[in-house]
Amino acid sequence: MDIGKLKKYSDLAYELNITKRNSLEKMRARQVMAYEGRLFRADTQTINTVSTLKAHSKQFYLLDINENPCLIKEPEDFLTKLIERNQETLNTLSQLHDSLQRRK
Amino acid sequence: MTTGVLLYCFDTPNTAYHKLALKSIDLIKKNLNLPITVVTDNDTHRHFSQFLGVTYILIKHQTKNYRYYRGQNIPWYNMERANAYNHSFYDTTLLLDCDYLCYTNDLLELCNSNYDFLLHNSVHDITGKNRILKKLESTLPIVWATVVMFKKTEKAKQIFEMIQHVQQNYDHFRNLYRIKHKNYRNDYAFAIALHQLQGQITTPMFIPSPMNMLPHEYDVLEITDNSVIYKYDKKINMIQNTDVHVLDKDFVNVR
Repeated sequence: MDIGKLKKYSDLAYELNITKRNSLEKMRARQVMAYEGRLFRADTQTINTVSTLKAHSKQFYLLDINENPCLIKEPEDFLTKLIERNQETLNTLSQLHDSLQRRK
Repeated sequence: MTTGVLLYCFDTPNTAYHKLALKSIDLIKKNLNLPITVVTDNDTHRHFSQFLGVTYILIKHQTKNYRYYRGQNIPWYNMERANAYNHSFYDTTLLLDCDYLCYTNDLLELCNSNYDFLLHNSVHDITGKNRILKKLESTLPIVWATVVMFKKTEKAKQIFEMIQHVQQNYDHFRNLYRIKHKNYRNDYAFAIALHQLQGQITTPMFIPSPMNMLPHEYDVLEITDNSVIYKYDKKINMIQNTDVHVLDKDFVNVR
């Protein structure tokens, strides 16, 4: 057993895990977006909810992050912005993930 | 409608806060592109050259407070933040600590909302060690006054008036909420004011993502245009293009 090698591996794993954790936090922070004066998170849950409600109604209410209601008057516009922001953040995360994979 | 950033910066005998503020101003101009107001004193002001888009308000600050930092009590001039509503020229203000480094424009989203008042109620320790929040420090739901977005509305005005009231009667409120620390901390004053003003019920008026923090046990080696490089226990790491609150002050200490 080479303890030095194991420690080196452990140090690298720590560094990679921290980088991944911080990148996920950065992604979540970037996913916060203002719309109609309210704050929403451009994550899959919001996208799915908006997509489902949009299929049933031209306008609908949605709770924002701080649980305040917001009338979504233009669901198509909102959905487009949510998806754009979501994919922008995931694209950045994906690039970082690829660079971390190469360091392993 | 105007939007701007408000910073408070006072050098102490131990810490040259102006060095942090200068870096912070650079990053705000680059990433937020907002006008800045710096509230400072005469001694600190002479370190600031004239920046385009930066206004200075010179005041005489209170000097009674102190903070515990790496084994010793050192002076801490943090009492003026309660006057932020009156010091701000803007309709929408981002009140920031001068050791909060803006590497993104994420805070602009908050300004585009119609919330009167927003601040963090959670933190993310970027080292992964979760050293920031200690247990049983008070009976309060904690908030962080490091980053505050407020608008010139009646509601925000009331909050700041309540903060001033808490500050003037801090010993009473500190006992009431069983706050462990004896010094005056804006985090607690803001938390108490919100708790009192909201009828002692936690009302969500929070910035949705946690505030990134680098604990004071970690030594900052360098602050560059896109990263903070830090060291702990012989390990060197960095955080890139991410807003972060840096607690280590040794790298700007007056030696």
